[in-house]
Parts: sequence; structure tokens; C-alpha cells
Amino acid sequence: MKPIIQVNNLRKTFKIYHNHKGFFGAIRNLFDRKYDLIHAVDNISFEVYPGELVGYIGPNGAGKSTTIKMLTGLLVPTNGEINVNGYLPWKERKDYVKDIGAVFGQRTTLWWDLPLTDSFDLLKHIYDIPHDVFQKNFHLFNEILGLDEFIRTPVRSLSLGQRMRADLCAALLHNPSLVFLDEPTIGLDVVAKQRIRDFIQFINQEKGTTILLTTHDLSDVAKLCERVMIIDHGKILFDGNLNSLLQEFGGSRQLSVEFTEFYPQPLLTNAAIIQRNGNKVVYSFEREVVSASNLINELSDHYRIKDLEVRDQPIEDTIRRIYEDRLLYN
Amino acid sequence: MQRAFSTLKRLLSIQIRSQLQYPLSFIMDVIGNALILGFYFIAFTFALSQFEGISGWTLGEVAFIWGITEFSFGVMDMLFSGFDYDSFGPVIRKGRFDQMLLRPVNITLQVLGSRFVLRRLGKVLEGLLIFIFGLSQLDIHWTLIKILYVPVLSISQVLFFGSLFIIGATTTFWTMERLEILNIFTYGGSEIMSYPMHIFPRPIRLIFTFLVPAIFLSYFPAVFILGKSDPLHAPKFVSFIAPLVAVLMMFLALRFWHYGIRNYQSTGS
Amino acid sequence: MKAFLATINISFRRQLTYRAANLSGLVTNLMFAFFRASVFIALYHQQTVINNLSVKDAITFAGLTQMLIGYLSVFHWYEMAHTVYDGQVGTDLLKPLNFFLYWLSVDIGRAMGSFLIRSLPLFVVFAFFYDITLPQSLLQWGFCMLSMLLALLISFGWRFMVNLAAFWTPNAIGIGRFAFGLSWIFSGFYMPLAFFPDWLAQFSRATPFGASIYIPIQIFLGNVQGGALLQSLFIQCFWIATLWILDHIILGCGVRKLVIQGG
Repeated sequence: MKPIIQVNNLRKTFKIYHNHKGFFGAIRNLFDRKYDLIHAVDNISFEVYPGELVGYIGPNGAGKSTTIKMLTGLLVPTNGEINVNGYLPWKERKDYVKDIGAVFGQRTTLWWDLPLTDSFDLLKHIYDIPHDVFQKNFHLFNEILGLDEFIRTPVRSLSLGQRMRADLCAALLHNPSLVFLDEPTIGLDVVAKQRIRDFIQFINQEKGTTILLTTHDLSDVAKLCERVMIIDHGKILFDGNLNSLLQEFGGSRQLSVEFTEFYPQPLLTNAAIIQRNGNKVVYSFEREVVSASNLINELSDHYRIKDLEVRDQPIEDTIRRIYEDRLLYN
Repeated sequence: MQRAFSTLKRLLSIQIRSQLQYPLSFIMDVIGNALILGFYFIAFTFALSQFEGISGWTLGEVAFIWGITEFSFGVMDMLFSGFDYDSFGPVIRKGRFDQMLLRPVNITLQVLGSRFVLRRLGKVLEGLLIFIFGLSQLDIHWTLIKILYVPVLSISQVLFFGSLFIIGATTTFWTMERLEILNIFTYGGSEIMSYPMHIFPRPIRLIFTFLVPAIFLSYFPAVFILGKSDPLHAPKFVSFIAPLVAVLMMFLALRFWHYGIRNYQSTGS
Repeated sequence: MKAFLATINISFRRQLTYRAANLSGLVTNLMFAFFRASVFIALYHQQTVINNLSVKDAITFAGLTQMLIGYLSVFHWYEMAHTVYDGQVGTDLLKPLNFFLYWLSVDIGRAMGSFLIRSLPLFVVFAFFYDITLPQSLLQWGFCMLSMLLALLISFGWRFMVNLAAFWTPNAIGIGRFAFGLSWIFSGFYMPLAFFPDWLAQFSRATPFGASIYIPIQIFLGNVQGGALLQSLFIQCFWIATLWILDHIILGCGVRKLVIQGG
């Protein structure tokens, strides 16, 4: 199977000009401009295969949006090869974008002043969607996303959650092979987030749509993506299975125990007490040092337990550690 | 090609429907506009009636040239307002241009269809009225060529002004600031073109001949149609090159526009 | 009091930082001044004086009107309306500052800045190219300065009122287009009122628009002296009072509406 996205030694370098100050500075600017080179994307390579649901994460300024812009054809690379869905995105723009979809959490792709249904009609025309395909998709998406209640409302009057659902539907009406989702759940409440996630999963599994998900919400990534790519300072630090990443860098785990009675000193080897509240104690331990099962055995040998729970380090903490402690940099 | 026009039609109808969303506001706007222009027209006739003419041109002759120019500018303003800084500036700033790049539709078409200002019809009508007024005051020796040349001239003017708007919009790719200086060529240009150009001092005439060739789109054609004598002693043929100049300007403007888009894609926003 | 002076100062300095915009505006206005002056010269070809306005006066008129564009924000001013639309007005009304005086201070600062960096250089350059009429005596200069200041206060009163529409309609700018357009016609901005028939000229002079643009120009040109001059100043003061009173009343209604109905 051929990859749907193929990126080799991709680079994007920006020139940031220093501006001379003042009136005469403005004249100097015409002749002598100094600049810095910023390597926003610095020699990255990866492949994405059809049907994958990939997370693409990194701190702010890491080069995420620059990569996405190059993949969507909005930006011309400085160097390297890029092939998406058989096209060179920036060069064959009009043909290329016929088969992709994009959702940007921060702003809508729809027409502001018009009822939602008019936006969809216009999209039907623009993407040349056959009538039966359009109807089928619309009814399907409507069922899952519940668009009927606001289908006649102008886009400007929609709530954030409604607008996001509408944007998702709009991006998928023409059955694109590949969809870019940029912060699709930003600002949404828990219920709305779950709804969007379910929909994304549905699209990926039922239609086999390849999805590239860029987000700061790591629970999105945890719930949806098996594969994740981490980018920072223009370089790809990690490209692989999310779980193995968490296992390797997951760091500390927590064991939360509720005893049947109060123990003044419920010590455990290789575990530290980080919280106490009457009969409830929370221990912290390193997964490289001791396993949860060993600790549980040791506990039940010495104490009487009412209830217990093992928690992983939150994914946010893991990723933060990776960024801050530069765990993946070489 | 046909699909392109049908898409443009739909985009424009969206614009119109958007404006009609606030019907009261819209009507007030149109009426207000019409009233203003009406007053202006009346003031113009009052003022000019105080004078015998302007530098050898009668009131009717000035009205003739003024009317056509105003009419064409109004038409252009309706069609090309997507390229007007007020409209295009926000399109770039708010990231809507990127959205356009993600759609399988010609970019120029999308920008053309991004704004359609209905109330500019007021200016179109006013220009027409002034033109008709001018005709009523004149006794032109009409020939077939002259009759045909009038609409050709108007269309050329529309293309000419349109090209200036497109150039203005393209500069937005490099500078976020509105280049007010460009107003000299668009609004200033249309104002200058409304008068017989020989009244302006040489430096101004030179600018509007060689930098922005407005003189070929108003003065010289008018000299021909109205049968005026030309104190500038230009060769006769310059009266007829208006369509050529217009098409050339539009061609250059579109090249510049496409260069601007490519540059935008290279450097990001 | 100190707060208002500080506001004026800040607004003044802010205006000065818009170097590119001011330069751009200056050049544009200058070009248009040349255009208009050329038209007047051509018009006056056969005659030398129309209704007490000589060709030299008309040329000066062309320069003066362009000068006033930046100073009086003749074409558009919607800053206050924008704060209503983006909600900023709520925070502004909570400040311990008189809302009207606050905006007045902002506008005075802006006008001073614009005058210094745009209007003045424009006029100096214009005077270099053309032979223009100037006030004949120190007293006349004084009256002219006074009239210019009064003009600003009238202009602000009117522009503020137009912006007040924002409290009631989402399309204050549309209404503004009509309102501003009205001001151009009756102010003698495009065409000296001297070219109008007498009745129209008298009427226009009496409007706030004529009072803010045409009166200061007439004083500058020396077309009104003695009793007529004082009468003109009186008309200006009348409009300041009227507009400001109306502004306060309408503002009160607007704020009440805002508070009751919410954003």
C-alpha cells in the first residue's frame, strides 16, 4: 500500500528581518536589511498510510502549523519532498484540495451571515458533490451530530459547540480521502468534546478517512490516536505508538488505597506517601523501580484493604516532562 | 469556464443576501446614498452654472466626461469591491484568504465574489444622470464610431479602475497598512478624469499619462468624441487606444496579483 | 481635570506614532489640494471674483479644506461605535471618568497630533506652490485659531452623535455614511458655498457642518469681519452647546438601554 502522505527531508526556513528604527532607518531598510533565519521545520520525514488516525503534537512554536500549512498547500517548502494524495500540494492546489478536508478550531470555514443549510448547498456546488452522495452524507452526519436543530440558523449565531459540529460536517460532505483537524475540540465542554471525538472515530473507522489531528488537548490524542508524532523546534522527536511512549516516559504512577482502619505508618518499599486523608492514602512509585502488582501484594500482606486504584501519570505530565526535560532530544 | 461563472454567481448572491439580512439598514443606506449623490449632483450644477465653462470646455462637455467616468467607477466599485482594501485587508488579517486557498475554486474568482456592494448602484445611476444631462446640453456630431466608442470607453474605464484596485489589494500581501497614497490614483484618478486634463499642471499630467495612464481613458477619447481642439497637441491616434491601455493595465495587475499570491505562499502570513 | 489632560496627552502622542499613515495621508491630501486648485484656476479663467471669493481665495480654499480632513476627521470616525460593538464600552463606562469628556479628550489629542504632523506641513508645502490668501492681522489669526478650535468641538459633537447610533443598531456605520455625506455637502467641503445660490449658502452656513468647516475658512480668508465675524463665532458656539446637550441626552438613553438590555 502506498502512503497517502509522504514527506522527505522537508524544510521550511523563514527570514525574520531586523528593522532599523526611525525615519532614516526606514531608508536604510531599503538598502541594507539584516535578518535571522528561523528553521520552523527542520528536515522532517514521515509517512502516513490511508486509514490512519495520527496525532501531531508539540509545544507552541514547534512547527506544527507550519507543517500543516505545507501539507495543505498553503505554504511552499524551502526544501525537501512532499507528496500528499499523489499531489504536490502547493503546486497543484485546485486539484489537490478537491479530495481533502480541513477544520480549524479557531475559525469557521463556513459563510458567516447565512443559514447553515445555505453553506452546505454552496459546498455541494463547489465540490461538485453528486446529489445522492450529498444527501446520504448529510443525513448520516446529521444523525450523529444532531444538526437539525440549528440547520436554519445563521452561522454567526451558533454556539461554539454547534459551529464545530457544523464545520466537521462541512469538511466531510465531499468524502475526502484525507482530513486535517486543527484543534477541533478547543473551548468545548466535556460532553461536546466527547461527541466530536466519537464522530472523528466513526469517520475514521466507517469511511476509512485518513485523519491528521493537531491539538493541545492530549486526552483527544489519548482517546483517538494509536500513533502520535511529536515535533519541537522543527524536528520530529517521536513517531510511533502512543502507549509505548507513555510507558517509556510515563514516569511515576500512583496507587490510591482506602484501608479498613487507620494505620499510623503504612509504609511500603519503593513507594512514597504523597497524600493522607484518614484511612485513605496515596502512594507514588516509579514504574521502572517496582511494579503495581508487587506493591499490591506487599500491601495485602501487611494491611487490610477496603479499596484501591492504580493511576498512571496524566498524559499531560508525561508530555510536559518530555518538552521541559528534553527527554527525546539527542 | 461555465462552472466558474456559476460559482461566482452563487458567491455574489450570498453577498447580496447577506446585505439584505438587515433590510431596514440596507434601505436607509441606499436611500441615504442616493440622497447624498442627488444633492451632490445638484450642487455640481449650481456651482458650474456660475461659470461660463472650464478652460474652453462647456458645462455640458464636462458633464459628459464626468458622467461616463462616474458611471464606470461605480460599476467597477460594485464588481471589484472584493479587492478594495476595506474588504481585502480583513480577508488576509482574519485568515479567510487561507480558507479560500483550501477550496477547489479559482482564487481570483473567490475574491471577486467575496464582496458585492449593492448600494454603489447609486453612483452608477448618478453618473448616468450626469452623462445624460451633459448630452442634453451638447450638439455632438455623431458618427457610428463615436456611438460605439462610448460603451467601449466605459468598459475600458471599468477595467482600468479595476486594475488599480487589484494592484492595491496585492500590496496588502506585503504591508498590512492601508496605502492611502493609492487613493491618489483610484479616487484621485477618477476625479481628474472627470475634468479636461489640460487644466492640470504639467507634473500632474505627466503622472497621469506615464505612471497611471488615465489620460488615455478620458481626455483623449473625449477630445475625439466631442470634437474639441487639443492644446496638448498629441497625435490623433491616442484617442483610440483606451481599450488597449485598459487591457494592458488589467494584464499587468493580474500578473502582479498572482505574483503576490505566490509570494504569500512562500512566506506565510 | 488632570486625568483629561493626561488623556489628551496620550492620544496626542499616539497620533504622532502613526508616521506612515500620517505621511501617506499628507501626500494624498496634498495631491487632492493640487487637483482642486487646478480646477478652480481653470474655472476662474473668465472671471476673477465670484460672490466675494477671488481666485486666490479659491486656491487657498482648496488647501484649507484638505488640511481640515485629518484635523476634523472629516471622512469617518467610528472609534466610539467600535467600542460599543466589541463590548469595550462596558469597561469604559465603569471607569470613574465622564464618558463624554473622555472621548472629547481623546479626540482633542488626536486632532492636535494630526494638525501638527499632517495639516501644518501640508499647508506649508501647498503655500510654497501657490500664491495664497493669508490673515492680515494678528487679531485675524487669533480669531481664526479660535474658530478652528470651536470647529473641532462642533465636529466632535456631531461625530459623537453619529456614533451613538451604535447603541441602537448594529449598522451604525451605514447610518454614519449618510450622516457624514450630509456633512460634506452642506459644509462647503467639496464646493465653496460661495458657488451656491444665496439661499442655499445661507442655509448651509447655519448648519453645524457649515459652522465647522466653512466658517473658519471664511475667517481665515478675511471674508467676514467685525459684526459678521462675531456672528459666525456665535453660530459656532450655538452648535457646540446644542450638539453637546443632545449628546448628553442621547448618551443617557443609550447607557440606560445598554444596562437594561445587556450587551
